[in-house]
Amino acid sequence: MKNCDQFRELLEGYALGALDPEERTALEAHLATNCPDCAKALEEARLLVSQLAYVAPEAAPSDVLKGRLMQSVRAHSEPQLQMPPRARLIPIWLQATLAALFLFSMYSAWNARRMQKEIREANARASELLSERQKTEQQLVMAKREAMIMMDPTSVKIDLWGKDSHPAQLEAKWHSKLGVCVMGEKVPMPAANHVLQVWFIPKAPGSKPMPSMMVVPDADGKLVFVVSNPPEPMDATKAIAITEEPAGGSPWPTSTPLWVGNVT
Amino acid sequence: MFLAAFTSSGPREVSPDATLLLRLLKKDVGAFEQLYDRHARLVYGLVLRILQHASTSEEVVQDVFLQLWRNAAHYDSSRGPFVPWLCTLARNRALDQLRLKSERQRRREDQPDRLPSVVVAPDYENALDEKRRAEHVRALMASLTPQQKKAIEMAYFEGLSHSEIAAALKQPLGTVKSWIRNGLLRLKEGLRAAT
Repeated sequence: MKNCDQFRELLEGYALGALDPEERTALEAHLATNCPDCAKALEEARLLVSQLAYVAPEAAPSDVLKGRLMQSVRAHSEPQLQMPPRARLIPIWLQATLAALFLFSMYSAWNARRMQKEIREANARASELLSERQKTEQQLVMAKREAMIMMDPTSVKIDLWGKDSHPAQLEAKWHSKLGVCVMGEKVPMPAANHVLQVWFIPKAPGSKPMPSMMVVPDADGKLVFVVSNPPEPMDATKAIAITEEPAGGSPWPTSTPLWVGNVT
Repeated sequence: MFLAAFTSSGPREVSPDATLLLRLLKKDVGAFEQLYDRHARLVYGLVLRILQHASTSEEVVQDVFLQLWRNAAHYDSSRGPFVPWLCTLARNRALDQLRLKSERQRRREDQPDRLPSVVVAPDYENALDEKRRAEHVRALMASLTPQQKKAIEMAYFEGLSHSEIAAALKQPLGTVKSWIRNGLLRLKEGLRAAT
């Protein structure tokens, strides 16, 4: 078996690539044992052999080779250079500023949309409150009007009797200036898609009943309404009648009156 | 120590090649061009000496430099100077081409593409510039016996083994081994003395 000194004699030939297979195999087996001295000596031998490159006379390759090579290199480098042009042209501080402006504009747009939504909601609430207030005021006005009609001694009382044993009796009072107020309790709810319609029957012979308001009692059967502008004056009116008509009313009665009251 | 011949005792400076290689790692085309301009003549001269054919040599040189461009990270500056690494790469490529051309099947597994693993100072190139080193190596080779020089050149530039050289020169195998080893040792001594 060879020792290190014997292997050392092979190192230059090995670095040169000149060993025959048997010697190369034996040396590689020894190097595989991680012999530090031989490993270092081998590196020295390789470095020595590499110096032989200088023995060859230098020669200039053609310019075509360089051109071809640079073309290939540039072609390979293009993917590396394909950065976003703006990213290379715009300074970082400007990119940061643009990014901040973009974020601020996005926030402003979002905030504006949020505020617009809140304003719309506030307007809707205000409109609703206003509507409720107007309704309440109207109800108040009507209540006052009803009270004045009912309490005024000049108002003429009109009893509206139910026909065909209708259980409810309605009371009406006609004020010459404020109109006719009708009140009643336990009034049956008209059939589905139907309303109660008020008719004024003129005294003139041959005259047709004059259509007036359409009403429905509340859930408790209470019915209160005022006809502010009767179609005929009191002295020209023979009677007041109420019929059940399809929703939306009719130009003339389509059913037998549920209540009728003579105007005296 | 022979390695000491490649180590400068003066203040360390970063070699131009080291700077260019750092830029090459970042795919700097300009750095690649400068490295080519610095070493293409040496590499092409070596490959042409091996292949003896201009257009084939240029193809090999192109392959070597493209490999450098693609795999610059394979070169570790802490493990040795750049030029020997590049020349080793070029020589192996050229010998592969030579074998392919001549259809020789002899294996050369003992010539890896990497540099010696022992650390060599990166300012090695400052100790002796390329031109002076080339002149010195040529002078040392010229000082060898014709037999030593011939045997070494047949091994290095033609990729022949001891046996093949012995057969070609019609000399005993042991004699050829001695020519090569003694010639290389003399070269080693000469390089060491130069520093």
